[in-house]
Amino acid sequence: MATQRVLPQSKETLLQNYNKRLKDDIKSILDNFTEIIKTAKIEDETQVSRATQAEQDHYEMHVRAANIVRAGESLMKLVSDLKQFLILNDFPSVNDAISLQNQQLRSLQEECDKKLTSLRDEIAIDLYELEEEYYSSSYSQWDSTDLPLCDAYRRRDSWASPGSSCSSTQGDRRTWRDLLHRRQTPNTTSTDTGRRRL
Amino acid sequence: MANDRLRALEEVEKEIAMILQCAGNIVLELSKDKHNASLLDRQLVQFQSSVSRVENELSGQIRYLTQVATGQPHEGSTYSARKDCQMALNRAEYAKVKLGELGRTCEVMLDQQQQQQQQQQQQQQQQT
Repeated sequence: MATQRVLPQSKETLLQNYNKRLKDDIKSILDNFTEIIKTAKIEDETQVSRATQAEQDHYEMHVRAANIVRAGESLMKLVSDLKQFLILNDFPSVNDAISLQNQQLRSLQEECDKKLTSLRDEIAIDLYELEEEYYSSSYSQWDSTDLPLCDAYRRRDSWASPGSSCSSTQGDRRTWRDLLHRRQTPNTTSTDTGRRRL
Repeated sequence: MANDRLRALEEVEKEIAMILQCAGNIVLELSKDKHNASLLDRQLVQFQSSVSRVENELSGQIRYLTQVATGQPHEGSTYSARKDCQMALNRAEYAKVKLGELGRTCEVMLDQQQQQQQQQQQQQQQQT
């Protein structure tokens, strides 16, 4: 047996008010329209003159038509209020909308991160090859404290894994810009026993 | 689901306009000397069906709201997912900027190298 939901007084009152407005407006439309149709009937016997009766009927129809229009506008306002109430209080649909939006945002985020990760892997492969080429050429300046970027990258990955040990105290991270800069500004105190291609 | 209910309410609004239009057409037809009986019947049937549809639909919506409304504000939010997504897009944008810088640096380097080679060739030609 379904338990009856106990609404706060304001919400219950509001919904009862909506019901009442609906019933009143529909009744108003039907009654006024019926009266207009009845008034349209031409009667032979009238208490006042025909002109007066016609004028009275005209005025009555005018008022009843205005009542029908007012009831129609009141129904439109009721529909607007119901839309607002629905948006704010229809929790099942709000929950569905929130979960759908969350799902879409998370899938977009995952796709973005997946593409960035694949880009990182591709660039790492290319960088490794470039470093191999550079350090085996005659342009490189190498000293014993330096590490090639590929080794620094591999060592960084091993730092990231638990239980890994690292003997380097300073960061071995350098950028490609640093390498280019050192190539352009040769070291005056040469301590390099760099690899040179003879 | 929410969109269906909102669309149904928009259809109700159109039905209300149809009610007023049918009532006006009927009165307009009655004001003529010679009435078109078939038109009057059609308009009357449409008027009655629209009125009953509007009443039933709005009663159904109010009944549904009586069942689901709790009186409490909804506290759901998409903020965290939206923020994570925004951060991911920022990461992608940052990577794009950095790759652009790298590309420009490489182009500058290549241009300098080409200029140096050209200068060397010119010097050699002058010596010979």
